[in-house]
This record gives sequence, C-alpha cells and structure tokens, in this order.
Amino acid sequence: MPPSPCVLCKTNRAVILRPKDHSKLCKPCFLSVFETEIHHTITSNHLFQRGEKIAIGASGGKDSTVLASVLKTLNGRYDYGVELVLLSIDEGIKGYRDDSLETVKRNAKQYDMPLTILGYDELYGWTMDQVVEQVGKKGNCTYCGVFRRQALDRGAARLGVRHVVTGHNADDVAETVLMNLLRGDLPRLSRTTSIVTSTPSAISTDPNSHTNIKRSKPLKYAYEKEIVLYAHHKNLDYFSTECIYSPEAFRGSARALIKNLERVRPSAILDVVRSGEDMAKLVLSSDEGCEGACASTIPAAEEEVDGCGSVNGRSVGGEMASMEQRLAQNEVVAEQDLEVEMTINHGSGQRHDEHDSGTTLRKPGKKRGGKEKRGQAFLPKKTQKQVMGQCKKCGYLSSQEICKACVLLEGLNKSRPKNGIELGYEADTHRIANGVNDLQMQVD
Amino acid sequence: MPSKHIEPPGEEPCRRCKENTFIIVVRSEPLCRDCFIRYVHTKVIKRMESFRVRNADPNRQRKILLPVSFGVSSIPLLNIMDHHLKTQKSKTGRTGFALTILFVDTLGVEKSPANPNLLIQLEERFPDHHYAKVHLEDVFRTEMDDSLLELMPYAEVSKVLPLSEQLAVLINSLTSATARADVISMLKTRLIVQQAQFLGCEGILWGDSTTRLAEKSLTETAKGRGFSLPWQIADGESPYGITFNYPMKDVLKKELVSYVELVQPPLTSLVHREPTNTQISTGSKNTTIDDLMKHYFESVEANFPSIVSNVVRTIGKLEAPYSSSSDSHCKLCKMPVVGGQFGIHGWGGDQEDGLAAPVGNVGQGLCYGCSRSMPQVGR
Ligand SMILES: [Zn+2]
Ligand SMILES: [Zn+2]
Ligand SMILES: [Zn+2]
Ligand SMILES: [Zn+2]
Repeated sequence: MPPSPCVLCKTNRAVILRPKDHSKLCKPCFLSVFETEIHHTITSNHLFQRGEKIAIGASGGKDSTVLASVLKTLNGRYDYGVELVLLSIDEGIKGYRDDSLETVKRNAKQYDMPLTILGYDELYGWTMDQVVEQVGKKGNCTYCGVFRRQALDRGAARLGVRHVVTGHNADDVAETVLMNLLRGDLPRLSRTTSIVTSTPSAISTDPNSHTNIKRSKPLKYAYEKEIVLYAHHKNLDYFSTECIYSPEAFRGSARALIKNLERVRPSAILDVVRSGEDMAKLVLSSDEGCEGACASTIPAAEEEVDGCGSVNGRSVGGEMASMEQRLAQNEVVAEQDLEVEMTINHGSGQRHDEHDSGTTLRKPGKKRGGKEKRGQAFLPKKTQKQVMGQCKKCGYLSSQEICKACVLLEGLNKSRPKNGIELGYEADTHRIANGVNDLQMQVD
Repeated sequence: MPSKHIEPPGEEPCRRCKENTFIIVVRSEPLCRDCFIRYVHTKVIKRMESFRVRNADPNRQRKILLPVSFGVSSIPLLNIMDHHLKTQKSKTGRTGFALTILFVDTLGVEKSPANPNLLIQLEERFPDHHYAKVHLEDVFRTEMDDSLLELMPYAEVSKVLPLSEQLAVLINSLTSATARADVISMLKTRLIVQQAQFLGCEGILWGDSTTRLAEKSLTETAKGRGFSLPWQIADGESPYGITFNYPMKDVLKKELVSYVELVQPPLTSLVHREPTNTQISTGSKNTTIDDLMKHYFESVEANFPSIVSNVVRTIGKLEAPYSSSSDSHCKLCKMPVVGGQFGIHGWGGDQEDGLAAPVGNVGQGLCYGCSRSMPQVGR
C-alpha cells in the first residue's frame, strides 16, 4: 500500500489509523486532535473554574495517567488557571498496589504535581487485609466495593479539595449505558451519563461543614484505544496490568457487546454515549428530585465500576441469573394478579391498580396521556424508591439513615478484639446484626 | 433454527390442564400443545382490546394493515388474527376489524429476500383477507414530498431516473453494510406507512416479539437514536401520523419459533428461513449492528428471557418529550428531533474528525443517527 498523507496536515505521512473514525493521521496531528477534543469537552461543559484546586484520582493505570498528562498540558497551553494534585487510594492489600503506587509516585515527579496517598486505614481505620482477617475471605468483596466507592470523596475532603476528576472514558460510559438498559435501571443510566456529578461529604476538620465534592470525567468522550495510543506515542509511564477481578456479569456482557459494536462501526461507542445522554433527558421523576439530566445532587460514587481488588471473586453470571430469577417470579405474580383482577372485574367491575410489590398492572387497552404505561419495570433494590439524604454518621450521601460504609464499619469496630482506631461511632446493635446481610443484597 | 426447548413427551402432566403430557417448557411451566397455543394466543389477544367487536361501528368496517415479512413473528401474528376474527364472527356474527396483508418485496436490495410466491400460499391458507404487494422502490413513487430525493447524490439528476435506479443510487451511496441495512429498514417502514394510508387503514399491526423489540431498542441505542426510543416500541399514535400496535410484545421469539412448528396445521412452510450463520464475524464487512444485536439477544433470550422482557419494559418507561407538531422531524427516520439537534455536531462529544467541518445547513435535516448512516448528506 502506498504511504498516504495525513488527512489533517496533508503533509506528514499518516502512521495512525484513528480508532474513533478510521481517519489516517500523522503522530503530531493525532496527539493534537486528541488533546483538542478533551479541551473541547472541558470548555464546552465548563468543567473547571479558574483558581480551582482539582484532585486527579490516580491509580497508575493508563486512563488516569493520560488524564494527568493531558490536563497538565492543557492547563499550561490554555491557561485554565487550575491547581492539579494527584490523589491515590491504597486499599491496604499487601502487594496489590505496590507497583501501581510506585508508578503514581513517578508520575508525580514527571508532572510536578503533589501526590497524596490515602490508605483505607487512614480513611476507615481498617486496611483490606485487616478486614479479610476479621470477616474471612468470603464476604470481603462487599467491604472493598463499598469502601472504594467513597474513598476518593473522603480523601478529597481530607485534602480540602472540592473537585475530583476521574479517568472514566467513552468505553466505560457506553458500557454503563448498555449495562443499565440490560439491568433495567434508568435512574442510574441517567446519573452515569452526566459528565459532572457531585457528592456531599462531611469528612472534614469542621464537623458542621458538608463539603460538596464535585466529580467530573474529562475523558468521557475519549476512546479507550485512543488513550492507549496517546500513552504510547507520548511515552507515558503507566502501570499496565490486567484487572484481577472479573467484572460483574451485566457489565461483562455489556463490555463484550461494546467491543463488538466498535468493530462493526467505529463511531458506535460515541453513538451509544450520545444515546445515553439523550435518554437521560427522557427519564422523568427520578427520585433525586431533579429532572434526570440534572447533575447537582447525584451520588457520583455509585457509578464506580463494581468489583474489588480481591482475587476471590464473584461467581460469573450470578448477577444475571439471580436477576432473571427475581424477574421471573415477578412475572408469575403479575400473571396471577391479572387473572384474579380479570375475575374480579367480571364480578364487581372494580379494579385495583397498585400492588404491594409496587408493580402497576396494565389495564388492557387503557392508555394514559396517549402513551401506555404498563407493568413498571423491575428495579434493582438499590434504586427502588430511593430518597437521597445524608448519612447521620459521616454526612456522605446515602439513601439510608446510615451509609453502607458506616454500617460495615460499625460491625467491624464492634467485633474488633484489640482497641484499634475508633472513628467515634456509637454502637447500634440491631442494625449491625442485619447490616451485612442487607448489604449483600443491595450490592449484588 | 430448531427450537431447543421442545421436550420429548415426559411423564409429567401439563401444569395448566393437568391432563395431557407436556410437550414444551414455557417460562419454567411444562405445557401441553393445546395449552401452549392458548398461552400464545392469550398473550396476543390481550393486547388487542381496542379492536373488540363492541368498539366497532357496525356501519363502518375498521381496517388495519398487517405487514408480513414471512418471518417467525409476522406469520404467527397473521395466524392468530385470522383465528381471532373467526372467533369474533362465530360469537357475534361480525368482526371488530378487517385485515389488509401487505408484503414489501426487497428483491435485489436485501441479502436474502423472501420469495414473493409465498404470498400466494399465504392467500390460499388465509383467504378471508385483502392482500397487497409492493416493491421497496415504490417508496419513491408514493412519497408525498421530495424529502427522500433530497438525500440522494445529484438529486436533480436522480429525480428523473426510473424508480429501481433511484433506489439503487440511494443504496449505493451508502458506505457500510450497517448503513445500508439501516436505510433499507427505514424505507420499508415509510413505504408500509404510506401503503396503510393509501389503503385506508387506521393502524398497523407490527409483528415484533419481545425479543425483537429489545433487539431494536439496543440497536437504535447503538446507532445513536436513543432520543427516538419512546416512539420506537410504544403502542398508539406514531410520529408517522398513524397508529402503531405491537400485539406480539409479550411473546418471546423462541416461543414463536415453537409456535410455528406446534400449531395445527403448522406454519413452517410459510416461514421464510434466512440462512442462519451461527457465528457472526465482527471482522466481516457485511456484518451489521442489526446482525450483532440479533445474535446477542438470541443468546440472552436462551438463558435470561425475563431480562429480555425487562429491557422492553424499561424502554417503555422513557417519557416522550413534549413535542409540538411544529417540531422538526428527521428527513429519513421521521422521528421528532426535539430542539432541532440535527447532525452529529454541536454536542459534548463533538469531534474534530479528519474531514472538513460541515458548512451551512448542518446535517441537512437528518437526526444524529441518520447522519451516521448518511454522512455524505451532512457535508
Ligand atoms: Zn498531520
Ligand atoms: Zn456514613
Ligand atoms: Zn395442557
Ligand atoms: Zn433520523
């Protein structure tokens, strides 16, 4: 094949087939177009404010390393006037974070950014290794997942930083859109498509301050493949490792689908993201009390990729199978109710609409507002009738009175043999007794 | 494909009639042949409430269009409707509606079009209805305006070409298999709607099964038409200005596959079997997003049928935005584009693609998804 010129500068030889649209680019044009698009994302969404201090959630992996590098470049080039710091979380699993944290330490020097590494022990009083020692290998995924979801926000609050950026990319968002369609979870679909989310958190020196931590994802429209290409061509120092946990079954299924879609039509990832954004506007009366797309009070942490660093994983496919089972049971109930309803109707002409299960049965042929509303889709427990408030213990956004992390911590602290670090929680015995079991159900 | 869940007659009796031996397990219920057929009919007829005899004006016969593709859904739908109308007639002496059957011939356009001769057999088997046949190219003849022609290269020249060549020009201007499949399916829908109106039908009965609707929902999502989902699978007034009904909405595709074989007399000879490739290759230039989703939901349906139904219920919960009749519609898919967000540019994910930025009339009145299929129109 004859060498073709770059379609942008029309001068250099094209060496890169751009994953997003298969255009042929030279290396400088690719790097520049990649950066320009992220700049466009930042400016068109007004992500940053001059003078703002921003923590980059850094894991040493490709996404957060590219994020740090690009933000450094753009902050210099376009004079955003923001202060960038790196924030890493150490779960306290011996050996697991060693290499990646070393990478982050080198990044801090390379990009001349201050780095803070916060351990689970500092944030929660427990390392994951200690948790495993306490609860055994079986249930520790629950702890790791719950703790991880809050760690960046808690860490940022400690640093007095009110804005955390994460390396979520277009593939992650597209995957989450499809996953939430498969799980029937529209509230979460609408939350995770927004580029800015925020979480109130009150882990600060002042117990009365309810710091609002803003979260955003500047790489939301960047393809994973382009992130890898960018890192490669910029010779970035990142820690590349296969994720050691297997994704939750719905996510795994959605991920495989996204990869196939990308192969058939490269724009498909971006197209799914666009669809997700448009659909978020059609999700009405979300329980956060805003119109779906509204992002101001959205619990960012809930969108975190599930799973944890623990090797003893979950059963693959288990989530889909158990949801299938629950749905099938609902269908049986609905069918029986419908039969009963039809029988009653013949007798007295009365109809009942609402069922204890929260399922609204369709009245045959009846339409409301021109558009039919039939059997309400099943929602996973977590988002059903979710009223967002703050945890009474730590101030973190929570649908329960006490957030999941605090419930778990109470249980751990209560049974801790030696007098370890206490976070000053009072015991609340009956809650703890059921706490872990409830959580298993909520998290699964 | 042979349906996997037809079991050899076992010892266990049918869960419903408790008499006959079961022949098939449906949503974990072992059923005999009769109870299974009744199960499918009930699910479909339940969604036809608005077409009851008592709602029909005795002086004016209601007409509905039933487009057949000779697939595993539309043929069972016709069979069920035929049976339903006969039952109405025997019970009340009249019917709630009359059916017009329409077949759109795609010879020369689609990979493996159904044989038009099947239509003759269909008419022999179900003689009580009115039958019509059109070719996909007729879409250019019956369009009310020039919106289709405007999408073609060299519109002025194309205008005077014979219909078949117009269609070829349009299809050949598309650069991927996905785009071709996408545009062909939209042309089909437009043609069916035109014919329904032309033939005086008040609505259209689509044969889409639960599985097909879930597949369609994710296909449209993947093509960037998430905005249109509230209109894609909902019963009622459609953006095309005619009523859409999806009576097969509660029946899974695998159940219809079994139905075709188990109903007496079987419908097998009337169903057009597309050559099934069990493995689809994403590397192939001929693979489309539609193929991919079809394959995906076939596998989900096998083990997680309720998850498939739940996808359809979930999409059904999306609220159509308030749209006034003045809202502009996409020139190709006809979906209302609220706020006039045409084309692929002008949003957060805007990219500086390697090609020149569009000038002037952005997207030429095509929605985001249609602009992906016809990028040349937007430039
Ligand atoms: Zn160049
Ligand atoms: Zn708490
Ligand atoms: Zn039976
Ligand atoms: Zn369109």
